[in-house]
Amino acid sequence: MSVTPVPTATHNILRFRDVSVHYGRQPALEHLTLDIPCGSSTAIVGPNGAGKSTLLRAILGWLPLASGDIRLGDAHPQHLLPRLAYLSQRQAVDWDFPITVRGVVEQGRYPSLRLFRRISEADHRQVDRALAELGLTEFADRQIRQLSGGQQQRVFLARALAQGADIFLLDEPFAGLDLFATEELTHILRAWEAQGRTVLAAVHDLELARRGFTLGVLLDTTLVAAGPVDAVLSAKNIDRAFRHGRCVHGRDTPLPHTTDFPP
Amino acid sequence: MSLHELIVTPFSYGFMQRGLLSAVLLSLSGGLLGCILVLRRLALMGDALSHSLLPGIGLAWLLFGPSTTALFLGALIAGLLTALGSALLSRLTRVKEDSAFGSLFILFFAAGVALISKLPTQLSLTHFLFGNILGVGPADLQLAAAISGLTVAVFAVFYRSILLETFDPVFFRATGGHGGLVHAGFLALTVLNLVAALQTMGVVLALGLFLLPAVSAYLWCDHFARMLLLSVILAVAGSLAGILLSYHAGLSSGAAIVLCLGVVFLGSALLSPRYGLAGRLFASVPDRRSETPKAE
Repeated sequence: MSVTPVPTATHNILRFRDVSVHYGRQPALEHLTLDIPCGSSTAIVGPNGAGKSTLLRAILGWLPLASGDIRLGDAHPQHLLPRLAYLSQRQAVDWDFPITVRGVVEQGRYPSLRLFRRISEADHRQVDRALAELGLTEFADRQIRQLSGGQQQRVFLARALAQGADIFLLDEPFAGLDLFATEELTHILRAWEAQGRTVLAAVHDLELARRGFTLGVLLDTTLVAAGPVDAVLSAKNIDRAFRHGRCVHGRDTPLPHTTDFPP
Repeated sequence: MSLHELIVTPFSYGFMQRGLLSAVLLSLSGGLLGCILVLRRLALMGDALSHSLLPGIGLAWLLFGPSTTALFLGALIAGLLTALGSALLSRLTRVKEDSAFGSLFILFFAAGVALISKLPTQLSLTHFLFGNILGVGPADLQLAAAISGLTVAVFAVFYRSILLETFDPVFFRATGGHGGLVHAGFLALTVLNLVAALQTMGVVLALGLFLLPAVSAYLWCDHFARMLLLSVILAVAGSLAGILLSYHAGLSSGAAIVLCLGVVFLGSALLSPRYGLAGRLFASVPDRRSETPKAE
């Protein structure tokens, strides 16, 4: 494997200071202050509508911030886009598109190519390296439909590598993957962390968050907890984020009326 | 009839030369644009857009006579109004995008039919609807050349941006691309080419020249660049065959071209070994396209 590890400095690569995002009048994120250390893997956890995806999209500069500031190193992330790789949910892709695995991974090189410049030998080598790192070399000439779900996911991870990114923003990367593919992806993300890459993933499944990530961020539009994932996902914190401290069977949430089932 | 009479003699006439040249030029750009229409699932929108050009053409003719520039601008404005109007309707009212587009284009089309039936000219409505190769004048040819050249140049220069915006707009945006700009440019080029194809193909049939070669190529190719190339080749071949057919059989040129391209499309849909009917019926390996892929 020919990837040079980024030196694992302990400084914070992503810093959020009092970040708020609103959709119309609906707050999606409120007064979030958070540091993401360089070379860490962080699971963003929280109930539906807690602002997990919003957080990732805010980093890319897609959403106007109602307040606060997001910094990547010393700069605003919008000026360092090649360093950021964003993976949207798998379902958004047209798998019938006339393109091969190599074709998709090659796209990672496009943003850094100037107009009128052809793709160079060095670009091709970078594509080859990305394919090899994710074990896709033998599938390089396949149309993307002819892959398993896990392989399809890896194609897009390889494109992110070819892009030369060192910060990976993944929106629900485990959605739709079977058990084997899930374990494989966990393994890849762990390896990336060990190589000094920074991974930030919105994760639905609490168990996956515990197993696959070192750090955790628990959101419920506001920050509930952040830190080592096991400490963040304590019973008390989960209760606060998902149930707002209420019991589901309490008086304020009446059970739906049901009819008796025949014996 | 000798081969010479079949293929060479027809093009000894000036109008046939102009018609052929215009059709070939538009095949180059139409074949390219059609691929994007197919891959972005905008085929029906393209059809609606082409119908909606009619009132612009009618009004321009009524006000300024048969000037190519006026017809062109009229059609362009009508096309843009439809696109803009349906976008506004779907945002500001309860009506969804497809219904808004559908309602507006049929309204525009009806207005166009009404306008043209009142035109003080010898030309009939069918000329506008289905094209007439006799109508291709030198000015039309210049227009076709300019628009075709522009389209091919845009595809050559912005190939990578177009591919990214078509395949994965989210990735394009996340890496600093201007997806909206690419999309707007694409719509503008589509309207331009529809207008340029008006004389040979007519508003109703013009889209056939774009769509049919592209969807045929889609059935054969696993590479974006090869699909573009094959689509252009099929469009040129279909235009040539169609114009000869229209000459010998006395058909309208638009209909003849679409019929020739239609044969290619149906043939592809039947015979394509991987993505056609034949591939599905006689597949020796289990068809992986119909089931969800499993992990290896």
